[in-house]
Amino acid sequence: MQFFGGSEISPSPPVPTASGNNAHMMYVFNRNGVCLLYKEWNRPLHTLNAQQDHKLMFGLLFSLKSLTAKMDPVNADKGNLGVPQLPGQGCSFHSFRTNTYKLSFMETPSGIKIILVTHPKTGDLRESLKYIYSLYVEYVVKNPIYSPGSPIKSELFNTALDQYVRSIS
Amino acid sequence: MGREVAESCVDTMLMEMVAMYSARFYANKPELAARRIEAIGYQVGHQLSERYTMERPRFSDHLEAIKFICKDFWSEVFKKQIDNLKTNHRGTFVLQDNKFRWLSRVSIDPSSEKETEDPSTPGESKAAQAVSMYLYFPCGIIRGVLSNLGIPCAVSADISSLPTCSFVIRVKA
Repeated sequence: MQFFGGSEISPSPPVPTASGNNAHMMYVFNRNGVCLLYKEWNRPLHTLNAQQDHKLMFGLLFSLKSLTAKMDPVNADKGNLGVPQLPGQGCSFHSFRTNTYKLSFMETPSGIKIILVTHPKTGDLRESLKYIYSLYVEYVVKNPIYSPGSPIKSELFNTALDQYVRSIS
Repeated sequence: MGREVAESCVDTMLMEMVAMYSARFYANKPELAARRIEAIGYQVGHQLSERYTMERPRFSDHLEAIKFICKDFWSEVFKKQIDNLKTNHRGTFVLQDNKFRWLSRVSIDPSSEKETEDPSTPGESKAAQAVSMYLYFPCGIIRGVLSNLGIPCAVSADISSLPTCSFVIRVKA
């Protein structure tokens, strides 16, 4: 597939930046720490059981956000370390990379956090995460039989998400 | 002409209406909730039919009225036409919409379907029952439109295969 430059229109998915099956796994949390969705495509190593894994991930993000906001050399508005921050307050980190994986993160004003763990050579996934959020709004929030705060069980959402993630990796 | 409102507003309002009636007002009486929602749809259909048939001449027979619903009315309300119309020429019409707009985002969880499969209750599972509550409003709308055009009828819906939805109209002779 050849792409001649990315498109400017926001609902359309962005240009893929790497090839092969890159995505390892994905988490979606709501503002209370409930894991709404966990999907894995390629995860050879499981260290903890599912519950602890989710708690660890949520705790990690909470600490990272706090820390990055506190260490900000530019922004004057810093909360106290340890106090939960509002989604727009302070600076927001969007990814970190190790030698084996890259974790991309996005938080919406409503407190929905989307985490995508991929291959380390992946480019910037912020636009992709925005598109995934638009899928969430479309198929989950607008689903009459979904009750907010409960794990996502929508087939339409799962299929659309799967298709999209495979297309960007 | 006319003022516009975002479609998400209409969608969420319909969702909330069904939720209110089935969970709060008539919590353990789904029949009453369904009747109430259908009555609301009837009023809405009544008024919408006035608006959308303003410039048209009278309909010559029942089939013309049903065709009006399938084409013009459905395009105004759902931005598409009915995909398939069947009739037995004796007062029963089946309108099939292959991607019903108000149900396009409903999706039942496949794993919970298998768990809650209760052999003692004949017919639908709980999820299918929940989804069918959302169909009383469009059924009421169709009944309202037809009765304002002078055709008393009974309308029911069938969702054996989502997102395809069929509305069965039985004209009272």
